[in-house]
Amino acid sequence: MRVLIVEDEPKVASFIRRALEEESHAVDVCTDGIQGRDMASDVNYDLIILDLMLPGLAGIDVLQALRDARVKTPILILTARSKVEQRVTGLNAGADDYLIKPFAIEELLARSRALLRRASGDTTSRLQIDDLILDTITHEVTRGGQRIDLTSKEYALLEYMMRNAGRVLTRPMIAEHVWDIHFDTFTNVIDVYINYLRNKIDRDRERGLIQTVRGSGYILKVPTG
Amino acid sequence: MLGFASALYVVMERSVQDHVDHELEKAAIAAAHSLEEHRFGPFLLLDDLAHAFPELALIDKFFHIFGPHGQITLQSANIKSRGIPLSRASLRAAFEGHTTFETVRFQNEIPIRLLSYPIRHGDTLMNILRVGTSLRSGEDMVSRLMFVMLIGSPLAVAVSMLGGWVLAGRALRPVDSITLAAQRITGGDLTQRIHTTSKDEIGRLASTFNDMIARLETSIRQTQQFSADASHELRTPLTITKGETELALRKPRSPDTYRAVLESNLEEIDRMSRIVDELLFLSRADLGEITMTSGPVQLDTVVREIQSQAMVLGNERGIETILEHSEPVQVLGDEWRLRELVLNVVDNAVKYSPPGGTVQLSITTTDGRAQIVVQDHGIGIAPDEQREIFDRFHRTDAARAHAQQGTGLGLAICKWIVEAHHGTIDIDSVVGQGSRFTISLPLLAA
Repeated sequence: MRVLIVEDEPKVASFIRRALEEESHAVDVCTDGIQGRDMASDVNYDLIILDLMLPGLAGIDVLQALRDARVKTPILILTARSKVEQRVTGLNAGADDYLIKPFAIEELLARSRALLRRASGDTTSRLQIDDLILDTITHEVTRGGQRIDLTSKEYALLEYMMRNAGRVLTRPMIAEHVWDIHFDTFTNVIDVYINYLRNKIDRDRERGLIQTVRGSGYILKVPTG
Repeated sequence: MLGFASALYVVMERSVQDHVDHELEKAAIAAAHSLEEHRFGPFLLLDDLAHAFPELALIDKFFHIFGPHGQITLQSANIKSRGIPLSRASLRAAFEGHTTFETVRFQNEIPIRLLSYPIRHGDTLMNILRVGTSLRSGEDMVSRLMFVMLIGSPLAVAVSMLGGWVLAGRALRPVDSITLAAQRITGGDLTQRIHTTSKDEIGRLASTFNDMIARLETSIRQTQQFSADASHELRTPLTITKGETELALRKPRSPDTYRAVLESNLEEIDRMSRIVDELLFLSRADLGEITMTSGPVQLDTVVREIQSQAMVLGNERGIETILEHSEPVQVLGDEWRLRELVLNVVDNAVKYSPPGGTVQLSITTTDGRAQIVVQDHGIGIAPDEQREIFDRFHRTDAARAHAQQGTGLGLAICKWIVEAHHGTIDIDSVVGQGSRFTISLPLLAA
């Protein structure tokens, strides 16, 4: 999934980015409030991690601006202040959760997972379509009980498709949620990765879960008829 | 009150008696005079007297005239049947030419005051004139006074107590509100103020009190802000060391990755130590616990040494530090602290300079003061932030983005050192063009 980190302390932003990338997320980082607000409005992120103390525009104002602009992306705020008021203000302004610095990296990842799960309407960390199961905690993927080894990008693509199972996903949508800002739109990278996934998931099956919607994109669903 | 009442009673009684005695004496002298004139001719004593001396209120007095042996020879008409014989003591006194006052009290009757007055012809006692008067009016007056005292005194006491209570209550109401406000402040509410409109001593007390609370409030807010800032500054390096370490331990990594994490953590640990050291310095400075030596310091030597250090500091990013002007300048102070001061300012200039930039230094005597100027061509500071850069933990957004390793305390320490040397430090800066710091210190008196 696609995550935006708005954090002015480069080292903090850097380790959060690396941790999220290890979880197969596509991560963008920006270091000031105004840029953060603009990026969050332009791209349909799945999760925003927002530091409250930012140069340019304070985190709380970024939050307010995004909610005013009807951006519904889950937002996790980071604060160095242990004062209750700031967290309350943040939550009231539309944040979905908060973490106080210093925080445990596993807690950040767990809260991120929870926010993504809630946003996609899933109730557990295990996503399932037919006999295809994806565990968002262990990153284990099985089909009919058979373990399937995926690369990080393949996993990210599958997670996105499973969270949006039954919906037609266009190439721009896939690019937006699986790749970060450095994605080059003039390549067929998406089609290449869809093929990789098909080979691993739908191999030796008459009709696969990943189906092409001609002229639009792809859909993940249980084959009918 | 009781003492006053009794004293008043005694004085009144005495003065009433004195008054009576005086009246008696006047009447006696007048009567004696009249007797002299008439020489025992037939006369109506009282009528004559009243005629001769209208000012004498004779109606309440009676007269006896005794012969030289004490026998009554004549008495005034207003006297009732009672005859009061002349006492031996007054007879004897009359023989010796003295007047006598006596108070005679018959059972259950009003006492009578008597004056025996000898009338002499040459050396011979001719007659004894006795004037008497009832003490009724005086007695009445004294007893009325007594009554007033007995009933009036407690009443007066009660009334004055009530009045005092009401007045004191009104006067002390502002004191009450001060007490109340003080209690609320003790409870932690520093926004409390005392509302009073009076311009008296209490009003002044209240406004002094309000000023004090206001200062207290400011100082406590500054302290809270300071500790919040301090905790924030320490949380950042803690977040980094914790996050990077936890991330590294999630799965096996290459030795290079571990090395990079350790190096980064070491940087953050150094940053934390620096913050802690500087915080400690400032809090000790606040408590007046920083001891400074005082001696002649060759300031130009200090600046020259810092310049060569700055060359090393700027080496990596190609920043050159040039000593443009140098005059021999001596000041009185703590050489180690002054070195720290100059290094801090120059280090800042190097930090905020663009790669390949220059920092210009000068040490001169200007307007009878030692002046160090540090000019950089870095990012500069916006005018509205120039005043705040000497505040603790104040770092401009630009400074944060530019030099992550700053603690936000360096310039606060510089300011403290300068002020401890009775000097000033000023900034003159244009955004995008650079900043000029000017340190001015008193010269060592020749």
